[in-house]
Amino acid sequence: MRAFEFALDPIDPARLAAPLGSAAAGGFAAFEGRVRDVNDGRAVTGLDYEAFEELALAEGERIVGEAMRRHGALQARCVHRLGRLAVGDVAVWVGVAAVHRGEAFAACREIIDEIKHRVPIWKKEHYAAGDSGWVNCEHCAMPAREPAAADAPFDYSRQTALPEIGAAGQERLARASVVVIGAGGLGCAVLAGLAGAGVGTIGIVDHDVVDATNLHRQPLYAMVDVGRPKAEAAAERLSAYNPSIRLQPRVLRLDAATADSAIAGFDVVVDCSDNFSTKFLVNDAAMRANVPAVLASVYQYEGQLQVVRPDAGGSCLRCQWPDATRDGLTGNCRQSGVLGPVPAVLGSLQAMEVLKLLLDLPGQLRDELLLIDLLDHGQRRVGAPRDPACAGSCRRIAVPQRSAAAEDLDVEMSLAAAAREGFRIIDIREPYECADQPLPVTGQLALPLGQLLEGELTLEPGLRYLLVCAHGVRSRAAAEILRARGRGNVWSLRGGLAARGD
Amino acid sequence: MPRVSLRYYAFFRERAGRQAETLETGAQTPAELYRELAARHGFALPQNQLKVAVNAAFADWNRALADGDEIVFIPPVAGG
Repeated sequence: MRAFEFALDPIDPARLAAPLGSAAAGGFAAFEGRVRDVNDGRAVTGLDYEAFEELALAEGERIVGEAMRRHGALQARCVHRLGRLAVGDVAVWVGVAAVHRGEAFAACREIIDEIKHRVPIWKKEHYAAGDSGWVNCEHCAMPAREPAAADAPFDYSRQTALPEIGAAGQERLARASVVVIGAGGLGCAVLAGLAGAGVGTIGIVDHDVVDATNLHRQPLYAMVDVGRPKAEAAAERLSAYNPSIRLQPRVLRLDAATADSAIAGFDVVVDCSDNFSTKFLVNDAAMRANVPAVLASVYQYEGQLQVVRPDAGGSCLRCQWPDATRDGLTGNCRQSGVLGPVPAVLGSLQAMEVLKLLLDLPGQLRDELLLIDLLDHGQRRVGAPRDPACAGSCRRIAVPQRSAAAEDLDVEMSLAAAAREGFRIIDIREPYECADQPLPVTGQLALPLGQLLEGELTLEPGLRYLLVCAHGVRSRAAAEILRARGRGNVWSLRGGLAARGD
Repeated sequence: MPRVSLRYYAFFRERAGRQAETLETGAQTPAELYRELAARHGFALPQNQLKVAVNAAFADWNRALADGDEIVFIPPVAGG
């Protein structure tokens, strides 16, 4: 008796069940599959079964063996008919003997389910109408869907349906150009996100070739791409994905000599590199070109995201990391390991920030660091203000921290610089505002606008006073009034606290 | 060019109008061979709905074909 057999003659369940069971078998379960007279709404008169016998026998034995082991059955067998069957005939029979009924039912159920799923047996139904068809084949033989015509436009309808985007937003994306530095785990997610969104021109800069160890987290590449330059393989894949965008691959190692030309002409730079040296190169080049840069990095199960906005006077990478030579301190994917979804999540967030920038959507990261832990799903936005003492390139583009001229009413400088220059800082906001958002310096006076104008503070002629409020409106008005009262030593902090990185 | 033999079952047997054939092929893999034969015999089943057996064992679509291999394309099964 084999565990799985074919039968050319009618199945006799009693004869098949007879050898199964023993004194230890408290349960015996059997299943009979019979030919029905209707399938899929059509009247059936009979069936033809056909099998790839060698493979079917091996696969059938494996299924019965697996089910017996998994459920602890004592004995099991399955017999399947081949050839022509009439309505009511038994097409397949399964019998299982086990100590208890639970194992017998479970193993019997698993065997018939797996046989129907895995064993190469096919049935042709003969219909009362006179025709016939191979079950599971005739319907799926029709291609599920005509492939889109080669010149059909990419369909952005699901994103243009967003009220903030619409046709105008889509047009903005089509005109935009973004360069991605590094086509690894972060880069794959960024590139897929931007290409799908229809960013019109996408630059891909990477000097490396696809390595087999990359594939688990870099789904733009297939096994056959191993050894190919990543920039080329990614561009090829993405142009097949969305033929309506322009890809500009460059097999290029970013260094001090190439960084400026690599990002020249692009609206936004995305840093997807895996080392600090490159991140600083990207940061500095973006600063010089005065274009936003979206930077991310991952470490094991965590990631960081930062948007550098030289175009908006924001902080730069060197404000947080004054020391550019930190490579080797934190380790990279090769040394520390990484799980594929971690760069995929961070890369998707980078793509999201790029789209927010291009589409002018709310909530953009600015002068802050987003920290994400994908194990406990902790997420924090940490202020990353401009460091007035930053030795990096952001100082070059920073608003000059010149001393307040007597004729100016507004001054523009960081509060730290103002304190250094000897200004007495007066916080003229209401107490609840001060409690909500304390000034990031010490030594200031807190005196709400009304009290200041009522003369509660004697302004000493030998000192210089800087008035600070939330947006620079009240402080400017107050400075004007005080100047009109003959106080020439009062200035207003332009833009107020909202304009300060610190 | 590897010389391989094919056996056809069920839907494929009827479409190809034969149970078996032997041929020399430029295809390097079962996937390439399927594309070649799908064009010749008009097999409309998409490859991702099929399995393939090489020498009576389920095989990867992208394994290399060798001289003397016996290939069976396995349409969706309907046992029971």
